Amino acid sequence: MRRKTKEKIETFAMTIPAMILISIMIYVPFVMSGYYSLTEWNGIAKIPKFIGLENFRTIFIGSQDFANAMIFTGKYTIIFMIFTNILALTLAVILVQKLKTANLLRGIFFVPYIMSMIIVGFIWKFIFTQGFAKIFEMTHWGFLNWSWLGDWNLSFFSVVMVGVWQSLGFYIVLYIAGLQAVPSDILEAAVVDGASPWKRFYKVTLPLLWPSITTCMFMSLTNSLKVFDIILALTKGGPGQATYSVTLNIYREAFQNNNYGLGSAESLVFFFVVLVLTQIVLKGFRSREVAM
Amino acid sequence: MERKTKRLIGKILFEILIIGVACVYIYPVFLMFLNSVKPFNEVVLDAIALPKKLALENFSYVTDKMSYQTLFMNNVIITTIGILGIVGFASLASYILDRRRTKYTRFAHAFIITPMLIPFQTIMITLLKVMNVIHLSGSRVGLGIQYWGFGIPMAVFIYYNFMKTIPKELDESACIDGASTLRTFWSVIFPLLKPVTVTVIVLDVMWIWNDFLLPLLMVNSSVKTKTLVLAAYTFVGQFNTQWQYAMTAMVLAVVPSIIIFVLLQKYIVSGVVAGAIKG
Repeated sequence: MRRKTKEKIETFAMTIPAMILISIMIYVPFVMSGYYSLTEWNGIAKIPKFIGLENFRTIFIGSQDFANAMIFTGKYTIIFMIFTNILALTLAVILVQKLKTANLLRGIFFVPYIMSMIIVGFIWKFIFTQGFAKIFEMTHWGFLNWSWLGDWNLSFFSVVMVGVWQSLGFYIVLYIAGLQAVPSDILEAAVVDGASPWKRFYKVTLPLLWPSITTCMFMSLTNSLKVFDIILALTKGGPGQATYSVTLNIYREAFQNNNYGLGSAESLVFFFVVLVLTQIVLKGFRSREVAM
Repeated sequence: MERKTKRLIGKILFEILIIGVACVYIYPVFLMFLNSVKPFNEVVLDAIALPKKLALENFSYVTDKMSYQTLFMNNVIITTIGILGIVGFASLASYILDRRRTKYTRFAHAFIITPMLIPFQTIMITLLKVMNVIHLSGSRVGLGIQYWGFGIPMAVFIYYNFMKTIPKELDESACIDGASTLRTFWSVIFPLLKPVTVTVIVLDVMWIWNDFLLPLLMVNSSVKTKTLVLAAYTFVGQFNTQWQYAMTAMVLAVVPSIIIFVLLQKYIVSGVVAGAIKG
């Protein structure tokens, strides 16, 4: 009996530090966000003013800002997911071939991923302005003279491109791991059966690779929905509001416009959007996984 | 025989093509290094030319101006505190959660890993308020401690899945020998967790070292507490016309990561893969 009590206390004592830390850093702020989302508060006043669902009304009906940020983030997410996954899978297929420099090449594609996204944003800002201008002088390739960060439509693609460039190595590495896990005897059997390389890829490799595809889709979805650093460094949301993401909107609303109440409400809406989308994507891709 | 040579040539051409693609891919990083050692007029005149005159004084100017040593130490302190806490608390909690299956541990497990679903931006506004109240904002140690809360959920998730593969007989025999639970954990279990610990460390070092938003909210007010990335961000903002200094600051901010990557490439790549697949 005494031993059991002691064991219980021990169990409690060894898990409670983790639970307290998580509560303070995550659960308490989360619950507070729920409360502040119902108030108008500038961060200075002692008592926030309770205004019910007014903030949510502003978000959905009153103001166009959040809707625009949502549309940008949605577009960014879709294009980002398509490009990263196609490019990463293609490069992974190439890099698992028996190349002499395979290891070096994998390392090269991974380098941008280990750099801070802020720095990556700045590097590209330099390339878009100084680098492109100089290469244009030399080659007169028209596209280099476009206003990559100043034009409404073009700035969107610049931001996506830099985002893809930064994280591609991460997805390549995941796909390579997936490709290496495809059992070679099944592939050999397909060769014996006379399947062409394309057919082998579509009918054998791709279905067996599906768990990796699920992982990469999920990761690229959550990462692109939260896009922040790269945009801050590259365009700060501009020109106009062409590259204004939801996270940037929340940040500005709270810390620059001092609308803590409205910012909290937006952050909650963002939470539900992320939650629902990730669950849908996860379910959708998982259901297509084949059992080995 | 001829078909074989043709094939070989094709293979070599293919490899050269891929190497070309990789060179274009990494060219922006190369340009950053290149322009960091050029004087101002050369950067403005020709961003892609090789330096005619090495301007290594850029580095002494920028390290001085940014107080690089302080920043570097700040990063080391914040990352070390963060990692020690995450690894310590998460591995111990996961051990208990796996070995003692009760109603309480099931609840505790769900409680600990659920926050992985909450985006940081959802809580950042009120987090700042809470941290101001309990005085964890504005200090390096405070920031390091904050990473415990944010890092533990994922770390527990990874440790917990691995814990099942360690046979229970090991703890039982240690217990018979009279070792306490903590002692068993520390000298029997923890060494066996090494591969997962490497994964957790790799993921969390990359995250904490390069993190931007949390440090921006918590430690941006003074150079005594700032991180490298934050300082590079402010610096580039101030010197946005003097690209040579901006580039130097950026090089100084990324060089530690690149050195670590080159030295530990094997662990980093496998750690990232393991983390993503388990997460």
